[in-house]
Amino acid sequence: MSEHPPVSMAPGTAVDASTATHGDRGPKRIATPPPGEPAFDERNPPSAALVGDCVHCGFCLPTCPTYVLWGEEMDSPRGRIYLMGAGLEGEPMTPSMVQHFDACLGCMACVTACPSGVQYDKLIESTRAQVERRFDRPTRDSALRNAIFALFPYPKRLRAMRGPLRLYQRTGLPKLLRGRNGKRGPLERLSPTLAAMESLAPPLDKPVAIPARTPAHGRRRGTVGMLLGCVQREFFPGVNAATARVLSAEGFEVLAPTSQGCCGALSMHNGREEEAQRFARALIDEFARANGGAGVDYVVVNSAGCGSSMKEYADLLAADPVYAGKAKEFTSRVRDVAEILVEKGPVAKRHRLPVTVAYHDACHLGHAQGIRNQPRELLRGIPGVELQEIPEKDICCGSAGIWNILNPEPARELGDRKARNVLSTGAELLVTANPGCLMQTASSISALGGSIALAHTVEVLDASIRGLSPADLGVPAAAASGTAAGAPPATESRGR
Amino acid sequence: MTVDHQLRTGSATGTETQAPDQPGPDRSAVIAELARTLKSKLGADKVIDDHARLRTYECDGLAQYKVTPALAVLPEDAPGVQTVVRACNAAGVPFVARGSGTGLSGGALPHAEGVLIVTSRMRSITEIDRANQRAVVDPGVINLHVTQQAMPEGYYYAPDPSSQQVCSIGGNLAENSGGAHCLKYGFTVNHVTGAELVAPDGEIVKLGGKAVEPTGYDLLGVVVGSEGTLGVATKVTLRLVRLPESVRTLLAAFPSPDEAGAATSAIIGAGVIPAAIEMMDALAIEAAEAAVQCGYPEGAGAVLVIELDGPSAEVEQQFAEVERHCRDNDAFEIRIAADNAERALFWKGRKSAFAAVGRISPDYIVQDGVIPRTALPEVLRRISELASNSGVRVANVFHAGDGNLHPLVLFDDSHPGEAEKAEEVSGAILDLCIASGGSITGEHGVGSDKAKYMPRMFTDDDLDTMQMVRCAFDPKGLSNPGKVFPTPRLCGEVPGRRKGVHPLQAAGLADQF
Amino acid sequence: MTSTTRGVGLAALEVAVPDVEIVAAGPDDSVDGTPVSFVASPTSTAEVAAVLRAAVEHDLSVVARGAGTKLTWGAPPARADLLVDLFGMDRVVEHSAGDLIVHVEAGLQLAALQQVLEPDGQRLAIDPVTGSRRLGTVGGLIATGASGPLRLASGGVRDLLIGVTFVRADGVVAKAGGKVVKNVAGYDIGKLLTGSFGTLGIITEAVFRLNPVPAASRWVTMSAGDATTVGEVVQTVIHSQVVPSALELDRRPDGTAEVGVLIEGIVDGVDGRVQGLERLLGAGESSDAPPPWWGHAPWSAGDTVLRLTTEIAGLPKLLDALDDATSGLSRRPAVRGSAGVGLLHASLPSDDSAAVAEAVTSLRHQSTRWSGDVVVLDAPGAVKRAVDVWGPVRGLDLMRRVKDQFDPHHRLAPGRFVVGV
Repeated sequence: MSEHPPVSMAPGTAVDASTATHGDRGPKRIATPPPGEPAFDERNPPSAALVGDCVHCGFCLPTCPTYVLWGEEMDSPRGRIYLMGAGLEGEPMTPSMVQHFDACLGCMACVTACPSGVQYDKLIESTRAQVERRFDRPTRDSALRNAIFALFPYPKRLRAMRGPLRLYQRTGLPKLLRGRNGKRGPLERLSPTLAAMESLAPPLDKPVAIPARTPAHGRRRGTVGMLLGCVQREFFPGVNAATARVLSAEGFEVLAPTSQGCCGALSMHNGREEEAQRFARALIDEFARANGGAGVDYVVVNSAGCGSSMKEYADLLAADPVYAGKAKEFTSRVRDVAEILVEKGPVAKRHRLPVTVAYHDACHLGHAQGIRNQPRELLRGIPGVELQEIPEKDICCGSAGIWNILNPEPARELGDRKARNVLSTGAELLVTANPGCLMQTASSISALGGSIALAHTVEVLDASIRGLSPADLGVPAAAASGTAAGAPPATESRGR
Repeated sequence: MTVDHQLRTGSATGTETQAPDQPGPDRSAVIAELARTLKSKLGADKVIDDHARLRTYECDGLAQYKVTPALAVLPEDAPGVQTVVRACNAAGVPFVARGSGTGLSGGALPHAEGVLIVTSRMRSITEIDRANQRAVVDPGVINLHVTQQAMPEGYYYAPDPSSQQVCSIGGNLAENSGGAHCLKYGFTVNHVTGAELVAPDGEIVKLGGKAVEPTGYDLLGVVVGSEGTLGVATKVTLRLVRLPESVRTLLAAFPSPDEAGAATSAIIGAGVIPAAIEMMDALAIEAAEAAVQCGYPEGAGAVLVIELDGPSAEVEQQFAEVERHCRDNDAFEIRIAADNAERALFWKGRKSAFAAVGRISPDYIVQDGVIPRTALPEVLRRISELASNSGVRVANVFHAGDGNLHPLVLFDDSHPGEAEKAEEVSGAILDLCIASGGSITGEHGVGSDKAKYMPRMFTDDDLDTMQMVRCAFDPKGLSNPGKVFPTPRLCGEVPGRRKGVHPLQAAGLADQF
Repeated sequence: MTSTTRGVGLAALEVAVPDVEIVAAGPDDSVDGTPVSFVASPTSTAEVAAVLRAAVEHDLSVVARGAGTKLTWGAPPARADLLVDLFGMDRVVEHSAGDLIVHVEAGLQLAALQQVLEPDGQRLAIDPVTGSRRLGTVGGLIATGASGPLRLASGGVRDLLIGVTFVRADGVVAKAGGKVVKNVAGYDIGKLLTGSFGTLGIITEAVFRLNPVPAASRWVTMSAGDATTVGEVVQTVIHSQVVPSALELDRRPDGTAEVGVLIEGIVDGVDGRVQGLERLLGAGESSDAPPPWWGHAPWSAGDTVLRLTTEIAGLPKLLDALDDATSGLSRRPAVRGSAGVGLLHASLPSDDSAAVAEAVTSLRHQSTRWSGDVVVLDAPGAVKRAVDVWGPVRGLDLMRRVKDQFDPHHRLAPGRFVVGV
């Protein structure tokens, strides 16, 4: 029950023109809403002013993954903003309305595309918090969500899963359960959600411990704190190791406190506001304590999703009397690893690394943080690297935090679409800056019968600085000599 | 009758909200039955009858006009569209087609007791046929995607409305969309050689194809630009244009629109037809800068974006000529795009201008009028007088080469009276266009917004004649009623119809024209 | 010649329209063999309207005539009581050089119009292929939708006509479009009238968009051999960066063929493109003058004239099918036209009308192979009687409904245009 019902609306009355989303010149015939209390209460509803910024031009539509999939207005950013507006007018929060808010991947491609500067990121975050607080989800749905939030933000719990997962991966069972040659297997027919989780789990490397302190190589250019991340730490330890090595080689002292927890990104992007705030406060304190209490010059992040939410801490904690100032200060120090490396310029020598790379913009790096040129600049700075652009590069791969687990089927469609686009480049190595994207795209590429080596930007850089070969990044030797090994059989004849 | 009256009774100048006269009980029953029928024939996932979902279809790019459709249907092919149109015919329910919903005249404004046929799921490019220089596409295909698909073959689709990254080919066909490059290359109608149409009675008609000049009346020529009142296109054959050997783009900054207008006239007067000549005034530049940081020269009272394309030698010489005319007319800075990235940046400012105005004004009207190009300086001065006399800010963005003006009339709806004043200025601008021998719309269409202005440009007889075509295609008036024409014509009345059997019919010649 | 038709005397018409010259028809005034009773010569749109109202009052069928150069195109009208001669309506209402538009009356001859435009370095980019006499009027040009070589670069009549004034069958004056090149207000009735052969209304005034006359023009010609080679040459040219203004084919009855390419632009640019084209084709001769056949009709008086359309790449199929279908005729066909557009004319001997009819029918049966139409544009009466002149038409039902709206009593050139099923 809402404590602060805004505008009450009896069925059959006209919508109050002054609360309508846009200018109000034209004729209007708006259908009477179903009965029910207004969708949003007064506790941080989506801002009417921000909703009003949308001029309904539709430029966001073709960049929105759900619109690309379903072609429906209500599953586009423009449609979702319209629904928020309707909610602000007093329309109730019906299951259909919630369904379309839930379906948003939060990729923020629309924010990039919007010429009017609509801050959809803020709108959807406020809306999600309201939905989480005010909407009664069906039991199954909420149980899954609770399970996810009891697992992912906690590195220790994730670590506990590693054992059984590695065992499972060695049994050969995955081959039986998964489909082959583009066909979907029995697991998928039984439970798309389980299948999604299963197929997304990366082949596990041995865990690598990151030293709490890595000294700078050569002249010290600063002290940086490094976020280890939850998924990154447990499933992609190599990325963290490479990050520490590259930063060190480029003259930074790297502090990686092992006691650090989750940054709160998953919670924040799914409307679990209080949980996110809790994580944020803890992380701010963690890095404040680092370096013997002297703090760090920068907090460096190698996971796009984490970086984007850490840059939002100032907003997240704006109402917190104790942490508002600290959060603002913290946010100003957050840098993506590619961002800081380009900002400070290269020092370490790059060795030749002959490999064709397709660079995929992680949504939370490109759209949310506007970091597109820096990773490309770093890659182009490596002798021998040939950079390919991926068609439809602005469209999300479907990973989107936990979206692929909650929405396995559409996520698979998006993943397959991305995979086909990646394969069409003929590149040997797919590079991106987010663990979710890597898992998602890799899973689709293998389901389509293709193969491509995967790496984080910083791993490529690390390989070059250390003088490794493409084979060390998993690129097959034959491929490194110039054959596009990644193409699935059907497209093998494609010209290079 | 099924003819729509609500839009004519609602004055667009007033701000009164109409009483939400919902479909009466009888219509509700008809709609509910129609929804059941369509769900069983097309599948439940193609039919939207949920209140919240329907509301998102309330308006197109002209967001001031809002009507919740009774139903929205998303067919996936021509037979699907035909099923909807036939069912609407059987039930006497009007239908409105919608593509990406980006139109700026309310052409896809739904009917409160009608069905919205959304083509956004019909988005396959059937064929890029290089040998015949054609593309065959579904109506929901996005304009820019045609070009993207054709480019590897060395071709592109020339009409490029500013919304080309989102607007659909079906919508382009309905509106006869133009774009910056239509100065040289023409409009949608010059680039559509064939269309499959579900006529308002539900028959599928194929007009034209890959060849030009199909035998008989040029029905396709009149269907293009008929704003969805003559049926729903379900497949479109487009002419593809060879990518030019050379493209050069120049950005020239002038002290004021007067000099920019004079430069435009000088260029065209010299026999140079650039691919595009676009003008933005200071206010429009300010908005574009705020939105996309296009970095136009500081202190410009107006900029021209001029693009030349074609064989390299021609482009080089004409480019020099264009540059000279700009300098002769007091351009204080001329930039030449060094590469595609810079060219894209010049265009980004221009193409995002409409939506970008949202950054400098909470509300605004995008006007679309045409004047003879030679009247440009005079009309711009009059617009500026109108603006200063009324205290309403007007930003100007337009296709200077063909005299197509897009004044953006700014207002703040939260200040009482501003909307009315803006509407007044906007209407006065159209009167200026008509008085100079121009048109009330160059590319946005008449739609819901401008039907009331049609009598200022055309006589009753002119409009009546146009509606004869309407009556031939859609005697029941079910296809997008209430658009284009201020008053519907009752198709039963044929002026001066004589009684009795005509001698020709008696002679057995009635079937001949 | 009788001076009364259907009980209407000349005197009655003179009373009805006192300001317009109306005379009894002379022996030359028939329309493709259909006799005419009266000839009215109005000099303004208002006068045309008055004449039409008189025709309504006296129930006369009406055919419009300009220079009369294309009056035999299409089927002969079933009746043509009153000929409305527009030759006297030949004013240039407005030429706005700065706006690149011209507003003219329908009776103005195209050649005269081009002379008016020339001092300003402008042209109406339509060079219709007609018979030997280049006298055609603007009204006739629109009514027949005629075009010529320049169609490739500049489009047809439909693409250049931006405004039209016409008189409806009931004598009401209507207009559509305007005098600005960009305009989407209302239906484009001008397109509907283009190529309607006077069956929807009588065009009295027109506004066209104009083009600057290029500084230099050169023609490159090469012989092209068989149909396959013609197709290859056409493909080479259209996909190149030559940007031709016209790409024409001339195929003679003896089987030899020549392809001609018109290149226009600035002097230096044209030279470069001509050389580029010659390199590309590995052959060709360039000249400052067009080849003798350029833009001329491939037919002579008495021939059967076919208008053939095709998708661009379908041209070889069309040519082969034409050879095949006409093999029984006394002479091989001559073909000429815009190969780069897919719009050509062929002339056939008319001596055996049954054989011509058979050839036309055979071509029509195959025409889906090149996605085109086969129309008998002109022919002696015997051939026209033996064959459906217009052939199958898509959208015929809608066309009939349009006709019934515009001309419910089928007063305008009844029977001249596409035939009902």
